[in-house]
Amino acid sequence: MSGTGSEVDVLVQRVVRDLSTALNRNRNIDEIGLIPCPEARYNRSPIVMVENKLGVESWCVKFLLPYVHNKLLLYRQRRLWLDRQALVDITCTLLLLNPDLTTAWNVRKELVECGALSPERDLYLGKLALSKSPKSPETWIHRRWVLLHLLQKAPPADQNQTDAERSRLLGEQLAQTLQQEMKVCADAACRYPSNYNAWSHRIWVLQRLAKGNVKVFLDELSSMRPWVSAHVSDHSGFHYRQFLLQELTGALAPPAGCSSNGERSAVEEPPHDLPAVQQLFCHELELVSDLIRSFPGHETLWSHRRHVFFLWHRWKEQHPGDGGDEGGDPAEGAQTRLSQTSAGVPMEVERGCSSDPQDIKRLRRGVPLPQPPTSQTEHVFVSGLLDGCGPEQRSFALAYRKWLDTVVGVPS
Amino acid sequence: MLGTQIKDVILKPDAPSSLLLDKHADYIAAYGSKKDDYEYTLSEYLRMSGIYWGLTVMDLMGQLDRMNLQEIIDFIKACQHDCGGFSASIGHDPHLLYTLSAVQILCLYDSLHAIDVDKVVEYVKGLQQEDGSFAGDKWGEIDTRFSFCAVATLALLGKMEMINVDRAVEFVLSCMNFDGGFGCRPGSESHAGQIYCCTGFLSLTGQLHQLNADLLGWWLCERQLPSGGLNGRPEKLPDVCYSWWVLASLKIIGRIHWIDKSRLRQFILACQDEETGGFADRPGDMVDPFHTLFGVAGLSLLGEEQVKAVNPVLCMPEDVLQRIGLQPDLLS
Repeated sequence: MSGTGSEVDVLVQRVVRDLSTALNRNRNIDEIGLIPCPEARYNRSPIVMVENKLGVESWCVKFLLPYVHNKLLLYRQRRLWLDRQALVDITCTLLLLNPDLTTAWNVRKELVECGALSPERDLYLGKLALSKSPKSPETWIHRRWVLLHLLQKAPPADQNQTDAERSRLLGEQLAQTLQQEMKVCADAACRYPSNYNAWSHRIWVLQRLAKGNVKVFLDELSSMRPWVSAHVSDHSGFHYRQFLLQELTGALAPPAGCSSNGERSAVEEPPHDLPAVQQLFCHELELVSDLIRSFPGHETLWSHRRHVFFLWHRWKEQHPGDGGDEGGDPAEGAQTRLSQTSAGVPMEVERGCSSDPQDIKRLRRGVPLPQPPTSQTEHVFVSGLLDGCGPEQRSFALAYRKWLDTVVGVPS
Repeated sequence: MLGTQIKDVILKPDAPSSLLLDKHADYIAAYGSKKDDYEYTLSEYLRMSGIYWGLTVMDLMGQLDRMNLQEIIDFIKACQHDCGGFSASIGHDPHLLYTLSAVQILCLYDSLHAIDVDKVVEYVKGLQQEDGSFAGDKWGEIDTRFSFCAVATLALLGKMEMINVDRAVEFVLSCMNFDGGFGCRPGSESHAGQIYCCTGFLSLTGQLHQLNADLLGWWLCERQLPSGGLNGRPEKLPDVCYSWWVLASLKIIGRIHWIDKSRLRQFILACQDEETGGFADRPGDMVDPFHTLFGVAGLSLLGEEQVKAVNPVLCMPEDVLQRIGLQPDLLS
């Protein structure tokens, strides 16, 4: 379909308007996409809404994109004036088609700054863009700017509110924003395997909005468990768990000489909850061991094991002699445990965790604490797997053993 | 091959096995000649980097004179903003990424005089944060990639002392992970692209001794898959651009011999498109200038004689850097 300049003008303006209308009318759109459709149907808008999905028929894109793209750049070069609403609509259209167009996101930043665009609407656009382009680096980068802007902007003080009330409302808002971001990240992680940008954004959000908040970290660890079990190749997903473990050990039992980092969360936790940390590590090792057995030949799982081993050991080094209420030398405890098992039954060694992983506070006194794996116990784990395993599992198992001996050099 | 779970590609027996340099030169020379192309518009947001990729690979192949020097210089001049930074294309906003690309291109052409160098330095300096990190632009995103862009830009201009190098180093080192690798920010997952940027950064700032070269080398050489190709993280598919990020990092830390060179070379060659010229991310996919540069540069690092020597830190021809007098550290 070819047209004169003004025909294209009319068409494009109509499409931009239709898109804007569709987004304004429906705040529950959860997905956008291109509908393969090589030819226009007579007088029908290429913008299609079905349930909560927004579609753009592909025939219009080759007119639409260059047109709005050029309009925006003319504006940026001060060769064309566009009012705020036009800028909102044009950048919206552009970014749904080309979410990596940094300059368009920057125009929206300026609109947010001057109050012509609400941060919430901008986050909504970002969410839609990510449904089609879950990796888009510029979309994630822009999202972080909007979130920072939201954090810094204090809502207007209401004289009828008490300080406590105001604090509570802010806390609720923050919690809501946090949950929203976790959902956006989770959706993007499902749409593209090992989505580095989605997961690093997730980490950024926790670092900014949930510093020292043990409950949030525990909830995340818990809710991620089924996900990673269903995505055993997703290295970023497992790295997220490593991040959570590190944050939790820092919050629950920081190294000797440090106080709990970050702000105190509202949840009352003792500053030193060593058994809790031990349990976390134990459960993580248990999880990765189960997955390694159930899904042989996945490098991600072995990589995760390395991380857990390393984290547990480093934490243990920072808490020498802290064996919990039982007292005594943790190394001695490990020896005792080992001597009670027979070689080739590594599961016995690992199942030192309490039966209820989340019930940290109810840990009975007098129950022996799980000890970190040693080079010895890990060698037993590897040997136990080598019999009858496939070539991929074999090569990863051997690489793990080599890593233990060479890189970590933990004395047996 | 039944039951193989390792994510990888299988090279076909009839995959290209010799270097088709002339085809690649023709591909790059013709790229972008149809500027109305919809795809071309889609990628305009990174045009300056696209030009750097195209020109650098042409120079490595000894064919830079086929490109239009004056048109490019004029374009670059039109992309310098009042703040000193460069945008990817005319009318786009300035950013550190495209500032580096612009400076790299001008170095290829020995034409730094065409722009306001002091302004560039001011722009880069202004992006350094309290903790030593660098923002990509005035909007404040922090990423170790930008630390690399900053020091690489200043190194090429001979103005490294204008930033707080010690602080910058402190920040990059705070992004080192237990596996020896680096992520985009403290606490982020190790990623071959970020590792390249941080390793390059440490080279330019004379701090390679801060690395655990054995540990990092181990992580990097584990990127090699049975096909010979390299990936960027565990359980990702091989991609020719990682033949650059991973290989250059290994070269910088003096452990390039930890990779099986002949299998890697075989993989890279298989990524060529015999009909159109150019390289794709993996055999059979669509080619583009980005993968073409890193395919050829990777081959250069592996010792390909038909291609000029490439510098592993800056991904520019060594003879260009010799002319400038820039010789970043490498570990042996």
